[in-house]
Amino acid sequence: MGIQKDRVRFNVGGRIFETTATTLANAGRNSLFGAMFDESWNLQTDNNSNEYFIDRNPDCFAVLLDLLRTHELYCPPNMSEKLLYREALYYGLLDHVRSAKWGPFDGNRLWLSRTVAGQAPGDGTAIRAGPDGGCCVAHGCMVHVYDWMLEEHPPINLDYQRVNDVGWLDSENLVVSVCERLGRGDGGMGLFSTSSGELRDKFQVSHENQVKSFTAGALSFSSDYKIFSSCKGRSNEYGIGVWDQITGKQTDFFYEPPGWSLGDADKLQWLNGSNCLLVATLFPRKDNCYISLLDFREKKMVWSWSDMGAPITVDEKRVRDAIAMEESNSICVVNEYEDLGFIDIRNSRGSSVRWSSRSKLMKGKMPDEPCYPKLALHEGQLFSSMNDSISVFCGPDWVLTSRLRRSYGGSICDFSIGGDRLFALHSEENVFDIWETPPAPII
Amino acid sequence: MSAQKKRNFQIEAFKHRVVVDPKYAEKTWMILEHAIKEIYNHNASGLSFEELYRNAYNMVLHKFGEKLYSGLVTTMTYHLKEISKSIEAAQGELFLEELNRKWAEHNKALQMIRDILMYMDRTFIPSTHKTPVHELGLNLWRDVVIHSSKTQSRLLDTLLELVLRERSGDVINRGLMRNIIKMLMDLGSSVYQEDFEKHFLEVSADFYRCESQEFIESCDCGNYLKKAERRLNEEMERVSHYLDAKSEAKITSVVEKEMIESHMNRLVHMESSGLVNMLVDDKYEDLGRMYNLFRRVQNGLVIVRDVMTAYIRDTGKHLVTDPERLRDPVDFVQRLLDMKDKYDKIISLAFNNDKTFQNALNSSFEFFINLNARSPEFISLFVDDKLRKGLRGVSEEDVEVVLDKVMMLFRYLQEKDVFEKYYKQHLAKRLLSGKTVSDDAERSLILKLKTECGYQFTSKLEGMFTDMKTSQDTMHGFYTTVGPQLGDSPTLTVQVLTTGSWPTQPSITCNLPAEIMGVCEKFKSYYLGTHTGRRLSWQTNMGTADLKTTFGKGQKHELNVSTYQMCVLMLFNNADRLTYKEIEQATEIPATDLKRCLQSLACVKGKNVLRKEPMSKDIVEDDAFFFNDKFTSKFFKVKIGTVVAQRESEPENLETRQRVEEDRKPQIEAAIVRIMKSRRVLDHNNIVAEVTKQLQARFLPNPVVIKKRIESLIEREFLERDKTDRKLYRYLA
Repeated sequence: MGIQKDRVRFNVGGRIFETTATTLANAGRNSLFGAMFDESWNLQTDNNSNEYFIDRNPDCFAVLLDLLRTHELYCPPNMSEKLLYREALYYGLLDHVRSAKWGPFDGNRLWLSRTVAGQAPGDGTAIRAGPDGGCCVAHGCMVHVYDWMLEEHPPINLDYQRVNDVGWLDSENLVVSVCERLGRGDGGMGLFSTSSGELRDKFQVSHENQVKSFTAGALSFSSDYKIFSSCKGRSNEYGIGVWDQITGKQTDFFYEPPGWSLGDADKLQWLNGSNCLLVATLFPRKDNCYISLLDFREKKMVWSWSDMGAPITVDEKRVRDAIAMEESNSICVVNEYEDLGFIDIRNSRGSSVRWSSRSKLMKGKMPDEPCYPKLALHEGQLFSSMNDSISVFCGPDWVLTSRLRRSYGGSICDFSIGGDRLFALHSEENVFDIWETPPAPII
Repeated sequence: MSAQKKRNFQIEAFKHRVVVDPKYAEKTWMILEHAIKEIYNHNASGLSFEELYRNAYNMVLHKFGEKLYSGLVTTMTYHLKEISKSIEAAQGELFLEELNRKWAEHNKALQMIRDILMYMDRTFIPSTHKTPVHELGLNLWRDVVIHSSKTQSRLLDTLLELVLRERSGDVINRGLMRNIIKMLMDLGSSVYQEDFEKHFLEVSADFYRCESQEFIESCDCGNYLKKAERRLNEEMERVSHYLDAKSEAKITSVVEKEMIESHMNRLVHMESSGLVNMLVDDKYEDLGRMYNLFRRVQNGLVIVRDVMTAYIRDTGKHLVTDPERLRDPVDFVQRLLDMKDKYDKIISLAFNNDKTFQNALNSSFEFFINLNARSPEFISLFVDDKLRKGLRGVSEEDVEVVLDKVMMLFRYLQEKDVFEKYYKQHLAKRLLSGKTVSDDAERSLILKLKTECGYQFTSKLEGMFTDMKTSQDTMHGFYTTVGPQLGDSPTLTVQVLTTGSWPTQPSITCNLPAEIMGVCEKFKSYYLGTHTGRRLSWQTNMGTADLKTTFGKGQKHELNVSTYQMCVLMLFNNADRLTYKEIEQATEIPATDLKRCLQSLACVKGKNVLRKEPMSKDIVEDDAFFFNDKFTSKFFKVKIGTVVAQRESEPENLETRQRVEEDRKPQIEAAIVRIMKSRRVLDHNNIVAEVTKQLQARFLPNPVVIKKRIESLIEREFLERDKTDRKLYRYLA
């Protein structure tokens, strides 16, 4: 039968609301309202009062109705966010809430939206932003998972082994790479459900048709459903392993060439445009820094750079993180004084690092417990963490444009951008900050 | 610990369970189950959506998601079993309709159930990795209804039966068919493929195997193809009406394989209706059909093309080697052109202007035209005929068409230089006798030859035209300056020909009559006076003359004769009887020419201005000739032709051949030197190959001749043999 007139009257938990079918249509078919007004349901109002009764909280309904009316979320200060989320989930409007809560990411307009305290016993290892605004924090042998509402889900561990890296395959699945445990075949790499925390698959490395135990290091995923991880096995299995995301089977292995380091890599980055994998093994994991680009189709190292043989006096120029920037055909590196440097990748043999003095910021005022700097790139904006702050660089010359800093928690040991949010993990108190871009202004 | 002790210290565990009613889950599920039942019974109007949604929400919230889900599976399975029974019970034709109706109902019910359970679908199912409600409903329908032992084969049989009935001409309910097939596709492409498409294709293959066998026994090729085409279109139509679009390629390939591929050879070679008969009878429609059908299968067109090529080569070979045809060169070439037109038309109308067919046609023509060594000569004669008379009164466009066709034949020729030789001779005759119909047509053809073969090929031909033009100016100048001194001496027209441009024979001058000699001498002195450093010699074998003659009874005629004939006739101004010997002595005309010339003056009926004794066809040395007083003619002007075979006589033909061979020698040598100059060292086989490649635009050099030329070049020290490898030649700079 469907609704004949546009006006709709609700009685929600005793309060009367009037709205229009047009407003409710904004909720989409895949919501309570969409189903309710579908013509297959012969919808009847209660005893001649012309209303539809819904047994829910009227305050939250008011907020959500406004969300449907304006596409903006305004949550009164006295209302529990959690309650609102629960109500939104009931109506099938949770996605609407999430997309109204914060705006599209812009490194120069970030504000600190929340700080979450962790319960880690030691230093944090890594923080990774999920695709829909959640995040996970790895420390020691544990990974804590938070959804976008910052509700914590059951924590994850893989045989209680030390976690080296984590990564989101999608909002439902996490890959965790950990150290191996001698002789038991424990450790390696596993796929976990983010909602239940259960282990769904364990990735294996085979060498000459024999399954080997291994330590999995840095992770990276490609858009054509591959997983890359740096691997260290017992004997020969040093290099980069490749697995299929769908089948979970190992599809390839790039063995480490003599005199070069791949299996110890700190950072992997898949480059979509050039179909290559950036592999960076950095000081102090090894005495020298090795950065290379691997082409798996030809099983070739197509580009490489190392500071082997560089004069020891430039100790301060040790590269601590590296990130490839495909648009400018270069790799950006950073040293522990937050000097940014750039290496051209158009020559097949790596050229030298061009250190940028413009972005040199720190010299001499090192804190007691320094953290190594990290780099991230997001839509033409370059982010670099140093001590307790994150700097944002923009433009072709990478000019410093913003700085994110907070006086609490000590140095930032890792940060990550994703789901239109920036997460920064502090070393001292094991707290992490969530930085968001506010929704667009009214005018 | 004993049981007794335990009882003593029994302490009620402190529980935080808030759920009051232990039967809460059961009760709530009962409500939902009831609702699902009502939905399947089309009785949903009494249900409150809000209440059901809230109940399902509460079950999930209170951790009864698992119960809710398994309850859903059980109850839906139950209802589907009921549905399955009612479908199985449907009789005959109603079976499909019942299935279709129930499927529509199930879809609607599924949507409503999903609406109620939306909260579970959104929260519980993803986190437990269970199948979402909608997909679950489809899977259960597939397993319970479609794959039930009684329905599965019955459904397949019914569908195939309907297709078969439609193939035999019955009208079936296509809408119903489409719905059922769509259902199979909705259940997943593998269901469609496994439960229907696979069997459909097998049955179709059997069907068409039998049918094609039946057709091929009873139909001729044209009808068979018509039927095959119709079947193919029917199948494509069927796919568009009620099958998955992806099936089109599969079913058409079945039809193609069974109806065309398996019978290809038999069809093409079918007695009295196969490809050759279609070609003979110009059956464009049938040929087009054959092309379009055979194009669909591998090697189909290859067979058509091969048979066509073989047939064209065969008929072409027959045409060019038939001695009957050699008598009339114009007809010979006309037949070639007609044949080409015929096949061009077939290829354009029936074969979609297929390039491979055009190439096959061209190579066939090239093959058989060159089987007859006289083709170049004949083509030139054809042009000669057209340009002499054939094109009179024809519009410019039509002239172009004819010339283009000639050029097309010319392209097939391997010995283009032979054609050039003949063309030059024929053109010279046309120009000198003023017989050419249109200068524009002549120039147009030369331009075409030039674009085809380059400047060298036509430079001499163009020179001939220039000579003709210059001669006109020269004669004009001669008469304006010398004219008044000439008095009443005969009018002389001289055409000054550049040596080399024209196909001249070594000049054998005859004795010109004194009257003519005078004028000639005057012209000679005029010409040499205006042009220094030149030499003039008379080509008396090529001129013509107009003679004013008075016969008995004062009958006056103007005789148009050749220069030789003029010389002979002038002798009779002073004598009535002359013997052959006397004539020969007086004129010094070469014996063969003289004989031919006398023959045409004395032996041709109606033109016999001389009388011969004894009367016979042939001229012998003892013959005597008289002026024929009794000559009469209706016309004032009488043209005395020379008895010349239009085609070359055997010795002449051989002579032309020899000249062509002679001309080729320097060309081959030049090619060898060009190649060796760039390569320095090359072996024999490669030289032959390269030379052939370089010269094939003009002619196909004979390897033996090439070898002789190489030897000659070695003798003249252009090349040498390699000291160690005798097969290698070296270029000596």
